[in-house]
Amino acid sequence: MMTLRSCLALSAALLVACTSADDSEKETKAFELPTAFPSTYTPMASTTTLITNAAIIDGTGAATSANSLLIVDGRISAIGTDLSADDATILDAGGRFVTPGIIDIHSHLGNYPTPSVNAHSDGNEVTSPITSEVSAEHGVWPQDPGFDEALQGGVTTLHILPGSANLFGGRGVTLRNAPSRTVQGMKFPDAPYTLKMACGENPKRVYGNKGGPGSRMGNIAGYRKNWIKAAEYKKKIEDGDEPTRDLQLETLAGVLNGDILIQMHCYRADEMAQIIDLSKEFGYKVTTFHHAVEAYKIADLLAENGTCAAMWADWYGFKMESYDGILENIPFVHAAGACAMIHSDDDKNIQRLNQEVAKARANGNRAGLDISKEEAWTWLSTNPAKALGILDETGTLEVGKRADVLIWNGDPYSTFSRPDQVYIDGALMFDRETGLKPQSDFRLGTEIAR
Amino acid sequence: MKHLLLASVASLLTATSAFAQDMFLDNVTVLASDGTRQTADIQMRDGMITAMGPELAATDGSTFMTDVWVSPALVASVSTLGIVDIGGERDTNDTSANTDLASASLRASDSFNPREVHIANARRRGVLYAAIVPNPTGNTIFGGTGLVVSLDGTNSSVLNDTALIHIALGESGARRAGGSRSAAMSQLRGALDDVRRSYLTQDEGDVLRRRDARALRAVVAGRVPLMISASRASDLMAIIALKADYPALDIIVVGAEEAHLVANELAGAGIKVIVDPHENLPDSFDSVNASLDNVVAIDAAGVDFAILGLSSFRTIKAGGLAHHAGNAVGNGLSREAAFQAITGTPARWFGIDLGTMDVGSPASLVVWDGDPLEATSAPVAMYRDGEALSLESRMTALRDRYNPTIDDDRPYKYR
Repeated sequence: MMTLRSCLALSAALLVACTSADDSEKETKAFELPTAFPSTYTPMASTTTLITNAAIIDGTGAATSANSLLIVDGRISAIGTDLSADDATILDAGGRFVTPGIIDIHSHLGNYPTPSVNAHSDGNEVTSPITSEVSAEHGVWPQDPGFDEALQGGVTTLHILPGSANLFGGRGVTLRNAPSRTVQGMKFPDAPYTLKMACGENPKRVYGNKGGPGSRMGNIAGYRKNWIKAAEYKKKIEDGDEPTRDLQLETLAGVLNGDILIQMHCYRADEMAQIIDLSKEFGYKVTTFHHAVEAYKIADLLAENGTCAAMWADWYGFKMESYDGILENIPFVHAAGACAMIHSDDDKNIQRLNQEVAKARANGNRAGLDISKEEAWTWLSTNPAKALGILDETGTLEVGKRADVLIWNGDPYSTFSRPDQVYIDGALMFDRETGLKPQSDFRLGTEIAR
Repeated sequence: MKHLLLASVASLLTATSAFAQDMFLDNVTVLASDGTRQTADIQMRDGMITAMGPELAATDGSTFMTDVWVSPALVASVSTLGIVDIGGERDTNDTSANTDLASASLRASDSFNPREVHIANARRRGVLYAAIVPNPTGNTIFGGTGLVVSLDGTNSSVLNDTALIHIALGESGARRAGGSRSAAMSQLRGALDDVRRSYLTQDEGDVLRRRDARALRAVVAGRVPLMISASRASDLMAIIALKADYPALDIIVVGAEEAHLVANELAGAGIKVIVDPHENLPDSFDSVNASLDNVVAIDAAGVDFAILGLSSFRTIKAGGLAHHAGNAVGNGLSREAAFQAITGTPARWFGIDLGTMDVGSPASLVVWDGDPLEATSAPVAMYRDGEALSLESRMTALRDRYNPTIDDDRPYKYR
């Protein structure tokens, strides 16, 4: 039976099914996304730890007077001023900055791993513009050395997306940056799936001579045709029919159902506006535009529609749709009240996202804004967590959340600073002083592993 | 508050206009091109430093700035600025040419456009000089002849149109030469030997056509640097062996991710190296041993090195040059060595005159609002030989049109 919750979650276009169920007593059932490849992630062992004497940026966007943080069973059990705790290991931060772990919402670690040999190219299913049936998690190689380096840069959670060749690229997966032999061992428990979609130049370039789309018109038509199919598929299931299971439509129906979040590659302002209207036509929500180099031109529209933008600090110009990049994109979007964040899309950049945010903040303030360090931190962990549907679990240092914590050797907005310690679920994963760090199988037996 | 901030920005913008004006700089950290620094107050008049020393008094009417940094302009030791508008649009991209008609003699200076918009975008981030390097494609290891430019955006930007010849070894060179490193080295040695050949017709060389052999002459004589893209330690050893056979070669290796494994050998052979301190992943089997310690190790061994950002999109990332040097410091390199590697060292290699910051001479300098090696800092003024250079660009024009702190009710296209 349809629950109230799933009824409310239904999009406007499908509320009919909900209402008619009440009216006619016809047997209907809710569309439910089958589960597969469940997470087997288990945190590493942690001890009850009290971090004291810390300069805390908690990720809420506001300054805090709290200077201590208690971790029990891998969760934040208290945060406040001069806390004490019996039986806790005391870690005197000595005035160092303590922040939430960084979350990268756009990474290809594992599906475009290093070494980038042909055999490792598993990020784009470039066989059709519609591949919503594939899932990034099936292309992720957990031995990518990039995971280990990203951890040392403070990345505790990351979202792996399929590439942007296709209109519907496939599902993205959210991972803990925890060493594991398997992808399942990294999957963030209960994190929603996402669907990667792509605007603009890439799909029409890749498929222009392979049956289309060959233009931005074809892109939009391609999305619409498939949303129509997905709505029909979903309705069949809700009507009690039992259509042959269709992996492509199942993922799209999951989006219409509100279970799968849209992460959409889109650069141009006018194109993002078209996509927002597309989402309204079919009753779903675009959670985040990725790259969004022109987001600053429509920051008001993003704020109005509650759509986030994941951006670079200063990358631009490598293709026509990225030509209008400015250094103030993130702060201008933030200033409009929209949900702004940094993203990497790169295995080097992911290692220093704090510096990318530092640059963006400085450029915004130079242009006349007054963005505090605390506000800017929301671009690093809070807003990415929100856009991935995991803000209840991580993204800020608040009671009850997973203890994903960084201790810095200096101001995190300085180019010279590095994380000294990285904790995931309260477990120490990296320690600059003792040399504790994970190492990929790939690097064993090489000179630098010695 | 917003309006106050805007006012202070406006005053800075005035200071960066193309007109040299009087400035009093209070409590300045002055960085030299060898990376050494001192603290002083500076009075500038008409593009000249008229006084520098402790506790100076400001001249009336000067724009006043405090706690700023002053340094020579930065030098990008490899860039494609001016030879590509948009990397992904082939017709706008002159960085490489797949032709059998020419290789070493392809002159990037023939493609260089001083008005390309990325040039002003890089200049406003403190970079005023660059070596523009064409890349190989097709079946040759030769990218062509690179140039050295000033990023001033004028018709006289080109400082040296024959500044280097670029080739690729490693996996890329091997692929172009037919499939192996052996083939790439054979092509290179054959080309160097072709220089001594007396051509009767244009295409009787082992490797090079007549005009390409002529272009390579200055390289074999050591008058023009041979820039080699290579990463793996074994490739660097092959380059050292090549240098033993052709001692006059002035070799600059770009990439050199595994240089730390052969640092003493590179220093001993006098081979120059350009590294990106961010490179720490085994991007390919060329760089299995890439490490953040690379730059520190080659510095300790006495290798003559420059720093830049090599990663993708390097055309426009010339703007982030100082950021890469800053991260080298974060990973253990001395500040002096890091700053020298983005100013004095590449300037010496390419014969670039960075000008002077001496009292009484027309000034060549950048005024920064903070430590140039911090990514949060930016130039607020730039002078060359006493002339103020603009720090405006297409990026700043877009910024100003869409700046949410500016009250302007006109439609965007009328702003």
